[in-house]
Amino acid sequence: MNKEELIIETENLQKKYITDTVETTALAGVDLKIKKGEFVAIMGPSGCGKSTLLNILGMLDSPSSGAFRFLGQDISKATERQRAKLRKENLGFVFQSFNLIDELTVEENIALPLAYLGVSKADTEKKAREAMERMGIAHRRNHFPQQLSGGQQQRAAIARATVSNPSLILADEPTGNLDSVHGREVMSLLSELNEAGTTVVMVTHSPSDAEYAHRIVNLFDGQIVTENLNVRRHATELL
Amino acid sequence: MLQNYFKIALRNLIRNKVYSAINIAGLAIGVASCILIFLYIKDELSYESHFDKADRIVRLVGEIDSDAGHEQFALSAPALAPALVKDFPDVEHVTQLARAGKQTVWYKDKRFNEDDLIFADSSFFQVFNYEMLAGNPAEVLDEPNTVVLSEKMAQKYFNSPAEAVGEIFTFSNEPYQVTGVFRDAGHSHIKANAFISRSTLDARLDDETRNNQWFAMSRYTYVLLHGPEEFDAFQAKMDAFAARHVNPWIKENDLSGTMRFVVQPLRTIHFDTNYAADLSPAGNISYVYIFAAVAVFLLLIACINYMNLATARSAKRAKEVGLRKVVGADRSQIIRQFMGESVFITLIAVMLALALVQILIPTFNALTDKNFTSGFFLQWEFLAILLAIVVFVGIVAGSYPAFFLSGFKPADVLKSDKAPRGGSAILRRALVVLQFTISLIMIIGTIVVFSQMNFLKNRDLGFNKNQVMVIDIPRGDSTLVKGLPRIKQELLSNPNVEVVSNTNNIPAEGMSKLLMLMEKDGQQVEKTMNTMFVDYDFLDAMGIKLSRGRNYSRDFKTDEKSALIINEAAAKLMGWTNPIGKRIQVMDLDAKVIGVTKDFHTKSLHTEVEPLLMVLAPESDGYLLARVKPQDMAATVNFIENKWQAYDPKHPMDYFFMDEHFDEQYRAEEKMLTVFGYFAGLTILIACLGLFGLASFTAEQRTKEIGIRKVLGSSTGSIVLLLSKDFALLVMLSIILASPVAWYGMNKWLQDFAFRVPLSWWIFAAAGCSAMLIALLTVSLQAMKAAMLDPVNAIRTQ
Ligand SMILES: Nc1ncnc2c1ncn2[C@@H]1O[C@H](COP(=O)(O)OP(=O)(O)OP(=O)(O)O)[C@@H](O)[C@H]1O
Ligand SMILES: [Mg+2]
Repeated sequence: MNKEELIIETENLQKKYITDTVETTALAGVDLKIKKGEFVAIMGPSGCGKSTLLNILGMLDSPSSGAFRFLGQDISKATERQRAKLRKENLGFVFQSFNLIDELTVEENIALPLAYLGVSKADTEKKAREAMERMGIAHRRNHFPQQLSGGQQQRAAIARATVSNPSLILADEPTGNLDSVHGREVMSLLSELNEAGTTVVMVTHSPSDAEYAHRIVNLFDGQIVTENLNVRRHATELL
Repeated sequence: MLQNYFKIALRNLIRNKVYSAINIAGLAIGVASCILIFLYIKDELSYESHFDKADRIVRLVGEIDSDAGHEQFALSAPALAPALVKDFPDVEHVTQLARAGKQTVWYKDKRFNEDDLIFADSSFFQVFNYEMLAGNPAEVLDEPNTVVLSEKMAQKYFNSPAEAVGEIFTFSNEPYQVTGVFRDAGHSHIKANAFISRSTLDARLDDETRNNQWFAMSRYTYVLLHGPEEFDAFQAKMDAFAARHVNPWIKENDLSGTMRFVVQPLRTIHFDTNYAADLSPAGNISYVYIFAAVAVFLLLIACINYMNLATARSAKRAKEVGLRKVVGADRSQIIRQFMGESVFITLIAVMLALALVQILIPTFNALTDKNFTSGFFLQWEFLAILLAIVVFVGIVAGSYPAFFLSGFKPADVLKSDKAPRGGSAILRRALVVLQFTISLIMIIGTIVVFSQMNFLKNRDLGFNKNQVMVIDIPRGDSTLVKGLPRIKQELLSNPNVEVVSNTNNIPAEGMSKLLMLMEKDGQQVEKTMNTMFVDYDFLDAMGIKLSRGRNYSRDFKTDEKSALIINEAAAKLMGWTNPIGKRIQVMDLDAKVIGVTKDFHTKSLHTEVEPLLMVLAPESDGYLLARVKPQDMAATVNFIENKWQAYDPKHPMDYFFMDEHFDEQYRAEEKMLTVFGYFAGLTILIACLGLFGLASFTAEQRTKEIGIRKVLGSSTGSIVLLLSKDFALLVMLSIILASPVAWYGMNKWLQDFAFRVPLSWWIFAAAGCSAMLIALLTVSLQAMKAAMLDPVNAIRTQ
């Protein structure tokens, strides 16, 4: 496999949580390689470490041990500031509970990543508008998150995750709080993004959501137990 | 980005009205108090600063060490000025002032008693540059019999300063021509209604006094040097000067003791120790420190409120922090955001504080006897201070929440089910304890201060200050003095006038010391002692008790020549077990002690009773005392007024009451302490605001728990108790911490008084109880609200 093509590469990634009395091993040696442009679904029973892995991949958390290279760069040596920089330039996050800032309007929420990137005011407006239009929420731009439905909130969250054209989108159960209609809507949005070239890593409990992925990684007790190519997806692509 | 921060800050403010109000109100009150205190301190420290050469002027004060002890006088001898000019040719100016005191001033048909009249020489205005509204400062006092009026005094007689120039005033039977008018702006220890040419006074001096009578201390001597760096060298020169001129003179004349001139920089005079016979009483620098501390405390407490409420509420901001990090904010950006937010809130508070100050200035002026206007708003100095406050408070108050909040890990805070706990509860408790400790120290301070003031006013002074009317007898009018027996008789014809007496001095006025020879082990030894000149009825009029011997009596013809009365302190000073019959030689008297009075206070209770000699002098001018009955006071006073005015139609009548006059000594102190009391109240108010916020936060956090407890049958009372218990413990801890600190501080303050209230336990108990009460009231108000909630609602809110 060509190294250049890898966006994520982990070796023996471990994560232990030490609380007052007990030590929990959330990740017990994960080796994972994700190529640019891939759509990967992470599945597994509750508590097996899916979110932990995703957070580490998103540099929101750091591993207890093991190597993690992002675009070939060793992250274990990166400072907090460097991680923040990598995050804002390359990553977009989508969460199960949407996680929009309540005090900001939809448009302001979406524009937030651009503000941290130092994008000019005119460009920000333009990009935010495009993102909103793509997600079909432009008419709700001046609403506050509480005034939107769950599906609309998640679309706003995806708009925010994509507004800066990240190379990698990390999604933790993006459809978990949505009904099936809205869930499918979100999945097709992610799929479209992936087709446009964005790498997507998604945690999900739903086999039907996993259908959208190229590859499914099954996690159990903090370890990868199986990795399978999504045959149907490959089959359609081969057609 | 800034816009974004600003929006978030504003929306958070609006969304959390109670918290915002508490924070902003607390900060605004704190900042407003700080501004007022700043004005006050600046004013207190501004003494002499309006004189251009203030930093170059020194005063020479006299210190005499002799058997009588160490004595310090603001005064020095007339001979000092010419001697300085001769010995130190490089000194630019030497100028001397002399007090003319209070005089009846005549202008055409107008007559006023004018106080604070000061003799000055022609170089005075060269050293002290007053702004002149009329006249040329270089020459206004050149001619004899000239006078320069203050603007205030000129306004009393004339429509404009220009109109005053050339007019003739008469006092002490001498005509004086007005040559100028000066503006009396700024604080100075020199408080003058008019400066009078000193040449008239100088012409009356005999040669001895003019040239080398070093103990004739009647002048205030100021020297203009080149700068502060010269002061130390000048002190050395003055020591050599004293060794050269003064101490040989003391020996030659068989006088005892040594004399020294102390170089006192002008700027330090106001807060220096009290020198005897100074132009105005010294200020107390410790009050400046106390007020500065109070200002810092107030701000600190308001900052703590901000810190506590911001961290307590951090759970609500955690998600935002997490998300900002997710989209790429680094920690320093988050820190900046929250710092900026606190600076922004401080800015709002400061705006509010300015409005508050604007509203409070008149009240504050009335309270402090000062004259602040809002003109200072535009001074760059003030704006700089204001900016400093904004930045300081913003950063102090903002730093803890900023560092705390920015430390959140997005992975933790974005888990929807578990919000992080609201900051370190221990730190928050520690800050509450700090707040209440400070508040308690101030409450205890206030109680001690007011009980001490009360004590001072009610203490037995050894004389009865009540019901004594005091009439000023204009000085230097011999016919007035000669007629005193007649007017006394007339006044006594009113049955409500009990006793009438005349004396040259009364308590709370500066006593004069005389040199005398007193019997000690069969020898006559030299002593200086406070001396009063009194008549036969003085002791009765004052209600002073004798502890031995008898009062002066008209029945003993020899009393005027050969009898003296002393107080117990004087007897103790001499070690006389039986003072009656002891010999004292004073002035031209050679007399024996016939009576000893119980000690009575002639000065404020800051000092012990000093030894005192009361010489019988039925014809002394000074004051006429009339002890009157309490019934029909107004009529009696009116009667006395009419009689006296008929008796002395030449002078406007001045009278006052002994008790008010005596208590006047504490007035400045009392004012200051009242202001302190108000600020102490504010401290508690702000601390309680914070407590209220914290309590409501706790209640909010525990709504579910409260609901469940209620479902299980808990009463409202027990829930209030549950919520209040924590805070009660904190206040208790504060009481334990505050008591020793307050005890130490107040003990130190009380040391300033020779007579003081004991620091009894009840003061601490009362302060503790009131703080506890206030705190519990504040907390239980919130607890009640939570406890009264329908349990169903309480459980559902989670
Ligand atoms: N902050 C933490 N402190 C202690 N233990 C933690 C922490 N976060 C996660 N864990 C533990 O680590 C393990 C993995 O948690 P993780 O959230 O990754 O699970 P998950 O696979 O995402 O589960 P779910 O499907 O329920 O979201 C769990 O056993 C969890 O209890
Ligand atoms: Mg999870």
